[in-house]
Amino acid sequence: MTTGVGAPKQAPTVHRGPALGPVFAAEYKLLLRSVCTKGRLIAIGLLAALSVLTAVAVALSNPFDPLSEGVGFVNGNIATLIPVAVLVFGAAVIGDLIDDGSLVYLWLRPVPTWVHVLAAWAATVTIVVPLVLVPVVAATAIIDTAPELIGAAALGGLVAVAGYAGIFVMLGIRFRRALPWGLVYILIWEGFVASAGKTATKLALRSYVRSILGTMTDTHLKLGEFSLAAGIIVPLLVAAAALLYASRRLAKTDVA
Amino acid sequence: MSAATEVPMIEADHASKWFGDVVAVSDVSFRIGPGVTALLGPNGAGKSTLLRMLCGLTPPDRGSVRILGADPRKDISVRARIGIVPQQEAMFEALTAFEFVRLAGLLHGVEDPAGAARWALDLVELDHADHRSTTTYSKGMKQRVKVAQALVNDPSIVVLDEPLTGLDPRQRGHLIELFGRLGEQGRCVIVSSHVLDEVERFGSRVLVVAQGRLAATGDFRAIRDLMDDRPHRIRVRTDRLREVATELISSPGVLAVRLEEPTGNRAGAVIVDTTDAPLFRRSVAAAAQRADATLLEVSPLDDDLDSVFRYLVGR
Repeated sequence: MTTGVGAPKQAPTVHRGPALGPVFAAEYKLLLRSVCTKGRLIAIGLLAALSVLTAVAVALSNPFDPLSEGVGFVNGNIATLIPVAVLVFGAAVIGDLIDDGSLVYLWLRPVPTWVHVLAAWAATVTIVVPLVLVPVVAATAIIDTAPELIGAAALGGLVAVAGYAGIFVMLGIRFRRALPWGLVYILIWEGFVASAGKTATKLALRSYVRSILGTMTDTHLKLGEFSLAAGIIVPLLVAAAALLYASRRLAKTDVA
Repeated sequence: MSAATEVPMIEADHASKWFGDVVAVSDVSFRIGPGVTALLGPNGAGKSTLLRMLCGLTPPDRGSVRILGADPRKDISVRARIGIVPQQEAMFEALTAFEFVRLAGLLHGVEDPAGAARWALDLVELDHADHRSTTTYSKGMKQRVKVAQALVNDPSIVVLDEPLTGLDPRQRGHLIELFGRLGEQGRCVIVSSHVLDEVERFGSRVLVVAQGRLAATGDFRAIRDLMDDRPHRIRVRTDRLREVATELISSPGVLAVRLEEPTGNRAGAVIVDTTDAPLFRRSVAAAAQRADATLLEVSPLDDDLDSVFRYLVGR
C-alpha cells in the first residue's frame, strides 16, 4: 500500500451516527450544485426575463390602473411561472439521482430519509427565489410601487415557492416522469378542475396564494376567498405533508 | 460454507426477488462470514439484484436478508458498517474525487471526513489533490473512486459489484490484493464477477449464481473441479470422418459421437461428448493416426462460462 503526502495511515474513526446538521448542510450544497444545470438556469432565467418584459409592457399600457394591473400580473405569475420553475428544479433535485443511479450514495448511509428530502426542498427554494421570485417582485414594482402590492407579491410568491416545492420534490420521488405529471397538476388540476367551484378550489394551492394577494391588496380575486392566515398556513402544511410522504416513499423505494 | 457458519456477517434465508413476471433471484440461502467471498455468474444471472438485496437497496419479495444480524432495509444504523461499490458508473458529477469521498465519510459520521477521504483515495492510488471533476475521469479511475468511497468509513461489510471493470491489469492486481487484505483483517468482502479467471485470483470462497438460483457454493477449487468434471463437447474436424469416429467411440471417457457431414469446401467433423476432456485431448492424435487421418481442428464447443453455469444449474 502506498501512502500519499499528508494522508493518514490509520483507518478512519466512525461516530455512532452522523451529526445531522453538517449532513444536512453537505447534502443541501450537493443537491444545489447538482440541480443547477446550465440548461435549466437559462430556460427558467429566460422565462423570468420574459416576465419582466411583460411588466414593462403593462406599465406602458394606457388606460392604466396600477394596483389592479399589478395584482393581475402577480396573480398570473403565481399561476404559471412560479409553479413551472419550481417543478423544473423540484422534480429533478432527487429525481435526477434516482434516474442516473447515484441516489445509492445518499440512501445507503446511516442518515434518515427526511434529511435528504428536506435538503432537496431547501435547495429548490434557494434556486427559485433569486431566479424567479426576485425578478417577479422587481417586475411588480415596475407596474406599481404600492407597499401592499410589493409585500403581497413577495409573501404570496414565497408561500407559493415553499408549497409547490414540497409537492414537486415529492412528485420527483414518486414518479419516474415527474415533469409531465407536474404539468398535469399545474395546468389541468389547478388551472381547470380546481376552478370548477368552491369545494374544488380548496384543493388548489393557487387559491390560497391568491387569497394572500387579495387580502393584502384589498382586491377581490375570483377563487381567492380564504383568510390571510389560511393562505399562508395551508400551503405550508401541504408542503410538510408532501415532504413527509416523500420521506416515507424514499425510505421504501427500490434503489438502483 | 463451514467457515461462514460460525460468524454469519451476511445471511440470506430463502430470499427471492422478482420484477413482474421475471424472477431475478429465486430462493437463495447462504451465510457468509469474514474473508473474501466471490459471487460468480454470467451477466443477467441475478448477481446485482442479490447484492442490492443484501445491502437493503431493494427488499426481497420472499425470505429475508440480514447484515450483522440486522435488516439493512429497516435498520439504518447498520448502513454505517456497509461499504458498497455499485455497478452503475454515475456519481455526483459536480464533485471532485476528494469531495465525493469526503461527502461519503461525512454522511457515514466519520470523525475526520477530509482525512479519511485522503486515506481512502490513497488506498486506491488516486491523488486527493486532483481538482478535476470525476466526469473527466476514465472508467478505471471512476471505479477506484467508487472503491475509495466504499472504504472511507472503514466498513465491516464490503459489497463490490463488478469492481474490476475498466481497470488496467496493474490496477486489477492492486485492488485484488487490497480486497484480500480487507478479508484477512476480518471484514466480510463480497465481490461479484462474471469472469472465472478473475474469481480464481481472489482465491476465495465462491457462490455461483445462474438464472437467479444459487447453483453451487464452496471453495473455488472445488467449484473448478466440478466444472471440469462436467461432460464436454468437442469438435474434431478431419478428412476421414467415419474412420476417426470409429476410433474415437472406443476411446476412454467418450460418451457419444455424432457426424457432421462436409459442406462445400469445409471438411466434415466428429462431435464428441466426453467426461474427461484432458484425457480425450491426449488420445485424439493417436486415434487419428490409427485411422490414417489428418486432424484439421480440435475445438471445445461449450467452454464458455454460460455453458458452465447452465450445467451447474441443470445438475
